Amino acid sequence: MIFYLCNPVAKSVRYLFTLAFGFSSLLSLAQNARCTLTLSGVVYDNENQPLAGATVVVLPNGPGTTTNNRGRFELKNFCEGSYQIEVRFVGFGSYRQEIRLGQNTQLTVSLEPDETALQEVVVEDHAPHVEATSTFNRLSGHELQETMGKPLGEALRQLAGVNTIQTGPAIFKPVIHGLHSNRVLILNNGIRQEGQNWGTEHAPEVDPFIASNLVVIKDAAAIKYGSDALGGVVLVNPAELPRDPGLGGQLHLIGASNNGSLITSGFVEGGSKKWKGLGWRAQGSIKKAGDSRAQEYVLSNTGFEEQSFSLAAAYHKANRGIDVFVSHFNTNIGILRGSATSNAEDLANAMEREPPQQTMPFTYDIKPPRQDVQHTLFKLNAHQTAGKNDYRLQYGFQLNVRSEFDQRRGSLVEIPALGFRLFTHTLDLEWQRQHHARFQSNWGINVMHQVNEKIDGTQTIPFIPNFTHNAIGLFALEKFTLTHWTVEAGLRADLRNYDVAGFDFQNQLYRSEIHFQNISGTVSAQRIVGKRGSFTSSLSSAWRPANLAELYSIGTHQSAAAIEYGLLLDEETTQVVPFENSGVKPEQALKWVSGFTYTGNRLTIDVAAYLNYIRHFIYLRPRGVTNSLRGVYPYFRYTQTNATFAGADLSVGYKLSERWSMDGKLSYLRARDVEENDFLIFIPANRADISIRYESGKKGVVSWYAESGVRWIAMQTRAPRVITPRQLIDATAQGIDLIAQDDSNFDFMAAPAGVQLLHAQVGVTWQLKNAKLEARLAGENLTNESYREYTNRMRYYANETGRNFILGLHFSF
Amino acid sequence: MKNKLFSLASLLLMAGALVFLSGCDKDDPEPENIPEVITKVELTFSAVGAADIVVTATDPDGEGPQEYALSGPVNLVKNTNYGLSVDLINEFQPLTSTERFITLEVLEEADEHLFFYGWTGNLFSDPAGNGNIDNRADVVNYLDEDDGGLPLGILTDWTTANATATGTLRIVLKHQPGIKSATSTANDGESDLDVTFNVNVN
Repeated sequence: MIFYLCNPVAKSVRYLFTLAFGFSSLLSLAQNARCTLTLSGVVYDNENQPLAGATVVVLPNGPGTTTNNRGRFELKNFCEGSYQIEVRFVGFGSYRQEIRLGQNTQLTVSLEPDETALQEVVVEDHAPHVEATSTFNRLSGHELQETMGKPLGEALRQLAGVNTIQTGPAIFKPVIHGLHSNRVLILNNGIRQEGQNWGTEHAPEVDPFIASNLVVIKDAAAIKYGSDALGGVVLVNPAELPRDPGLGGQLHLIGASNNGSLITSGFVEGGSKKWKGLGWRAQGSIKKAGDSRAQEYVLSNTGFEEQSFSLAAAYHKANRGIDVFVSHFNTNIGILRGSATSNAEDLANAMEREPPQQTMPFTYDIKPPRQDVQHTLFKLNAHQTAGKNDYRLQYGFQLNVRSEFDQRRGSLVEIPALGFRLFTHTLDLEWQRQHHARFQSNWGINVMHQVNEKIDGTQTIPFIPNFTHNAIGLFALEKFTLTHWTVEAGLRADLRNYDVAGFDFQNQLYRSEIHFQNISGTVSAQRIVGKRGSFTSSLSSAWRPANLAELYSIGTHQSAAAIEYGLLLDEETTQVVPFENSGVKPEQALKWVSGFTYTGNRLTIDVAAYLNYIRHFIYLRPRGVTNSLRGVYPYFRYTQTNATFAGADLSVGYKLSERWSMDGKLSYLRARDVEENDFLIFIPANRADISIRYESGKKGVVSWYAESGVRWIAMQTRAPRVITPRQLIDATAQGIDLIAQDDSNFDFMAAPAGVQLLHAQVGVTWQLKNAKLEARLAGENLTNESYREYTNRMRYYANETGRNFILGLHFSF
Repeated sequence: MKNKLFSLASLLLMAGALVFLSGCDKDDPEPENIPEVITKVELTFSAVGAADIVVTATDPDGEGPQEYALSGPVNLVKNTNYGLSVDLINEFQPLTSTERFITLEVLEEADEHLFFYGWTGNLFSDPAGNGNIDNRADVVNYLDEDDGGLPLGILTDWTTANATATGTLRIVLKHQPGIKSATSTANDGESDLDVTFNVNVN
């Protein structure tokens, strides 16, 4: 095999492949160890009757089987070692036990009925890769189902500590502990999601319908997942594929009144009879929405449409398996027409006007400004358990195509003003070794090769350059388990290389090479307190190289009425300076998170406090006002400073009685630029949620629930000063540059007032013999509040959406 | 059978590896045409029996932070009738390209564009007042119109005051797709141009 080697990183990539193939031969060797042990047993229900058809599975990746009609099961070909066994059956709480196999072993399991399991459609949870010592929150079961049809970011907002940054009613980005975009890593089915992620208007290209649970890890150095995760990591986890013969599926139909949306999604899955251990799933979603409506007016051009599908197949044998996953995501999202502004004068006019300019009757049509994004993912994963060792090999390919259409002159309106194709290959090798019951090692290598190219013919200077990006990372995680303690320590080394070719403001070509290297580490511990509580605490470092938009961007953003300049553009000449001479440093974060969870019969508490100190934090700093031929523009430069993000998240659940329960959540955050002693902009406001829920319990085949709650969003009082565009223009007309006089942060508009939002929902479930049907009616913003949200970029132009009713039908078999 | 799974995985990985390392070409990307940028505005005041008066505002760095520069004040003769034509030029486009002349594009899309004029210092006797930037109903003497009979403003007519005067002339070009009307104002639509010249009437 001959590779054309372009740079040192590519060389190390080749080295890695040699390693990888050596690795797989090693695996073949390991298989020859004698693995002849058998685990067998019987599963009973709470009345000591044998349970037929219960699933018995070795976590995390199998093998698995089902019990026969006498409740018996048998699993063969085990090697010596410890195994995590799970037994589950619909309507019963699942049983989990760590079993040490040294000889053939018999197991007797009794399952207890699970009261809540039958009340809603709950897809089996499957959350690999979350370490015990991590601070994380999970959205699954009915909580996840109640977010169905919403974008990923909006769904995640149900969790304490997670907010969103929005561009209108359809574009949501998750914000974890005040950080977003490139500082939040999203793992879509185990693959690091790679799209144009630098803008606040670039939502993750993920259909949440593929997930059976969403997990947010809040430690900075989620060291296995790679660099950049200064805020945290989002895991989008699909349900396990079936291992047993049979056919199953779900169908969801959801309609919403506010934007006239109709969403349908579903999947069919099955296991092969002929090929034991072969399972598959075919899934798809179609979404169509028209303009959203604020209390008093239509938010014109805020509709969207989305089509996506995924296919998955897996083949599992006793101690090894392989799975393949393909998904395609396609969306077309409108951006509020009235937000299309050019200079400061336009922005001033737009801000002073309500309803926004070009407010039209409701329509499903989507016109510029709009975004057209496709994301395709292919994943291949092979894993193998051999004695105390667990190996995982994973290859991922992603193609992200983004086109953004603006209001342009003439036929240019048909041509995207911004267009990029991003190709990403990732290769992950992981080795986990259970040295003995108390000591576990986890080592791995992550390799990435990425190519970004502009779509030719946009007839604009590309906002970010073309680039080839190679990255390699090595990590080691060691875990010690004592009676009450689990202690984990990890180290990661990263090397990144960018080969860049772009165009400066005079449309002249520039080329540069950029190298980053870094080491990050983590120490974390978990202490079990009593039978129901646990403390976790972690101190971790993380880093993030400046992204290409922060380095090279030039020009105006969709509806921002401001010019942005990257870190590598000279202040005087605006020419691109070489990276070596720029003094640009990667962001370095040191994050401490401590949490306590308590799971009682009635009370559950999950509380976490954090402090994140970020050196060389990159943000857009106002620098001045310029008079161009298109009018007056404020301009901003990417700048580095030191910042702190401190806060606390709280979730409390309390069962008042068999039927009634209450739930409360609180997210509190204080962020500050400690170098300039200034507030940062677009930091989510504090908020609290409280809700009360009634569950009927099962009566024959029918059960129902009702829930109502309030969300408080506080006013963001820790916001920068305000300079309105009108003030900027008036001062400029008198020859005064308000920004050059005082270049501390500012906002064009004061932070909006706080708000209380009331919501309610009822749901009915019919449990049929082999199927389940659920209907759900929910109301959001029931009092039809007219309000604006601080972290929505559209708040300069229009109110948030008004009252909304959602009707959902969910069928599963 | 035992090793088939991993042989298959290795094979696929190798295929992946080939794709992986084949992407490092060093070809330069193609530069884009950038037809929308205005780097130069040229005003030509023509009076009967006199040489044309030409002034320019240039902004060679486009989106760069440098302010635009005026070639000088517009020096007009009092009590004289002038025709004014506005030229918008994109100097990034080659001399031979029609895309260099943005005025032509504006003309093609006359039904979506409107020039607004505003001035200070009582520079003109006709139109009197201060122009239609603050109030669309105020008089500006347009000499051209779109297909719908609405004014455009590439060509306008001016008579200077009968006394010396000093002031400014501000020209705003608005892109008003779908909203241009007999009453649409300088606050409607998006700004394609917003430039101010110094004017002396002697």
